[in-house]
Amino acid sequence: MAAVDVPILLVFGLLIVLPLLTVLAQAVMPALFDPKAPGLAIDISPLAQAVMAPRVIRSILHSVELGAAVAVTATIVGGLFAALTQRFRLPLRALYAPVPWLVFLTPAYLKAMAWVLLMAPGGYLAQLGVLPHWASDAFFGLGGLVFVHTLSLFPLPAFILGSALAGLGQDIEDAARLAGAGTWRIWLRINLPLLLPAIALSMIATFAEVLSDFGLASTIAHSSGFGVLTYGIYAAASDYPVDFPLAGAEALVLLTLILLVTLADRLLRKQSALRLISGRSRRSIKQEPRPRTRWLLSGIAVLIGVLAIWLPLVVILIRTFTATLGHGLELTNFTLSNVIETLTPGAPALDAIWRSFLYAAITAFIAATIALILAARLDRAGPNLRAAVNGIALGTIAIPGIVLAFGYILVWNRLPGFRDWPFPHYGQASLLITGYVAAALPYCLIIILTAVGQLAPSLTDSARLYGHGPTARLIKVVLPLVLLAVITAAALTFIRTVFELPVSQLLIPQTGSPVPPYVVRLLGHDDDGLASALALLCMVGAGGIAGAGWLLARKNLNFSSEARQ
Amino acid sequence: MTWALICEGIEKRLGGKPILRALDLTVAPGEVVSLLGASGSGKTTLLRGIAGLNHPDAGRIILNGVEVFGHSRLIPAEKRQIGMVFQDYALWPHMTVAGNLGFALATQRLPAAETAARITHALDVTRLGPLRDRLPQALSGGQQQRVAIARCLAARPQLMLFDEPLSNLDAALREDLRTEMMDLVRQEGITVIYVTHDQAEAMAVSDRIAVMRDGEIAQLDTPETLYNEPATPFVASFIGGFSLLQGMGEGGTFHVEGWCLSLPAASGPHVLVIRPEDARPAADHPATRLIAKVRSAAYQGRCWRLTVDIAGQIIRLDWPGPARPGDWLEFSLPPDRCRLLATDPAPILKPA
Repeated sequence: MAAVDVPILLVFGLLIVLPLLTVLAQAVMPALFDPKAPGLAIDISPLAQAVMAPRVIRSILHSVELGAAVAVTATIVGGLFAALTQRFRLPLRALYAPVPWLVFLTPAYLKAMAWVLLMAPGGYLAQLGVLPHWASDAFFGLGGLVFVHTLSLFPLPAFILGSALAGLGQDIEDAARLAGAGTWRIWLRINLPLLLPAIALSMIATFAEVLSDFGLASTIAHSSGFGVLTYGIYAAASDYPVDFPLAGAEALVLLTLILLVTLADRLLRKQSALRLISGRSRRSIKQEPRPRTRWLLSGIAVLIGVLAIWLPLVVILIRTFTATLGHGLELTNFTLSNVIETLTPGAPALDAIWRSFLYAAITAFIAATIALILAARLDRAGPNLRAAVNGIALGTIAIPGIVLAFGYILVWNRLPGFRDWPFPHYGQASLLITGYVAAALPYCLIIILTAVGQLAPSLTDSARLYGHGPTARLIKVVLPLVLLAVITAAALTFIRTVFELPVSQLLIPQTGSPVPPYVVRLLGHDDDGLASALALLCMVGAGGIAGAGWLLARKNLNFSSEARQ
Repeated sequence: MTWALICEGIEKRLGGKPILRALDLTVAPGEVVSLLGASGSGKTTLLRGIAGLNHPDAGRIILNGVEVFGHSRLIPAEKRQIGMVFQDYALWPHMTVAGNLGFALATQRLPAAETAARITHALDVTRLGPLRDRLPQALSGGQQQRVAIARCLAARPQLMLFDEPLSNLDAALREDLRTEMMDLVRQEGITVIYVTHDQAEAMAVSDRIAVMRDGEIAQLDTPETLYNEPATPFVASFIGGFSLLQGMGEGGTFHVEGWCLSLPAASGPHVLVIRPEDARPAADHPATRLIAKVRSAAYQGRCWRLTVDIAGQIIRLDWPGPARPGDWLEFSLPPDRCRLLATDPAPILKPA
């Protein structure tokens, strides 16, 4: 491997591999960071003991049970949504078309907060008299978690199944139709069997997402006493007295589960590669059903959209502008006090917003810049390095944020050499931002690498023949052509980072908390009005900044598509 | 004479498979040499190797007397001063026409007046002056291709490489642009290597053609020599619609399925190269008379293109009169136009 590849490996090694290795080492070397008698002895008995503890076994079972249930339900809902939106021309498109993206960008703990406000015994639905007692009780347990997770994660299966559906193309359906098959028969005998690999992939992806989730784990699951692995790691690593060996053991179990799931995913992708449909097939034409059916199908898509995003947003909006939950929609209950309290200069909420926006902006800039440089280098790198970095990037997406953050604590608070390193330093914003960058880098890399990979290689080849070196090619040729992708990556990173919970939760700087842990803390203290106001203002602010920047960029960068291969 | 380009013993393997095998090629200054071959024959790999966009595993490349690739020497692509017209033109879509030319000249650090003069000259000769401030995507395919050539001309490269530059264009436009493009290149006296899989294109543009097969040059000659004296059955099969009739040489005659043609053939299996336009009435050359069954006939304006069957071997002939499928046709071939080639050990590839 050439010397130029060292920076790529260094970035990934320091940001991702080292913290993970430290977590693994901690799991099998319980005395590694023992403040009194540190040692390198490998001893798996505390690991075995921790894993056999009833509480841990229960949280493993809970995680798996929840993941399996949501894998099925989210795939059904996502598949239905993909089929409706991809295959039919339906009215009220504006109400459902943006839903997957909005859901994807809205953090789980905010959707959880909205549903708690709706489903709590004294919540909005109970006040409206449409919620029986048993339903409220059932919500705070497996049932509610499956429900909220399904609505929160269905975009993932919808994206996977949607692109698979698009890949099927029209010719294959037309051929079946000419052979005399009706719509149902085509779906049952042609589309469904061809979609099976995608269905399996989406179930696997959803399962992994649920295992890694921290947003619902620290809200609904935590308040329902439904312990899952991610929250267990957080509690062991942060609640007094901290129990690093226990956190390490739980992290190891979680990583093992994720690894198994990722392996299953890989195997399936390899097998299904042969079945991929040729790119020559025409894109499918959207059908226009009869008016009655059209409104029915549109109604289903809109209902999914309402439950997944519109209703939660409305609830957060109402709660922002009302004094108490108990007085519901009474006119006298409406007030601006939550907004005023949030926006009062010097108030902790406004400080948290500034802090989060600043950290998110720095993170977006650093992550997008590193990703651009890596992508341009990787595009010309050998197949081995590409595979390695791709593996690490995809792997990191699967790694739960809470495990990564725990690794950061171990490395930067305990590991000699790193512990006293001035920048980034444990307990300071610099380390939180480093953690944010690590969590965002794989997404940025994938977005930008895709764009760079689509550039015709001849564009940089020709620049090279005219004497331009690597830096000139990156700045003058590659960057202008992938600028929209870079800005997209930065905008998504900005929004994600403003709402990122697990890394923020474990690496809160001494200077003060960013928004996400503050919102969760407010919720824990039943201060849901202020929490709603804070969340809403953050959503409007972050969404506005990122969205405006992105739209402006898209309007002015219209030549990107010309450079594609 | 100093050769503009010398390639010596170039070898390249990709994924364990040999792509170029000990290949030699020399090009004189101002010469236009085509690399003609089917896909996978190694022509583009050789072209990119010369440009420095990939590196051979072995061999030497010498450009105007300077070794740019060798045992211990590697001049990177950006220092070789080679221009290339890519199949997709590779115009930078975020720069105007003039911007594309300017960026290509930027590394030469010329005085501003010289840069401007070169851009104006290149745009003038390619008749792109009025389009200098347009973005590439606002131009037609033919105009984009002219920008790619203008960009090369402005940079005044030591060597210009064309990688199937006409393959993205309509058939109608292709011939016009080909003539225009080669006129420009010849006016400027630039040495050119031109990659194509289209033998008619290669014939039209080249001083010499290198017919490539499996990473080797099967024959390197002028278009006339290739047409009149193909060296092997493979070359004959690759050049322009020739038919190959298999038979046996024996004592100064050539035997095909019961027919005996008086042709000076050595003993052993041979193929007879038949150019369609060589078919004559049977009485013209009684010593080389053949009878064939007509399979199909298509009117082509100045003649009829017949597909005929001689004991299972299919031959194409241009014939002055009509014929019906199933008819028997008697014809002969001028002996001085008959070329007999010892059978190639490898199977004969049908032209695409």
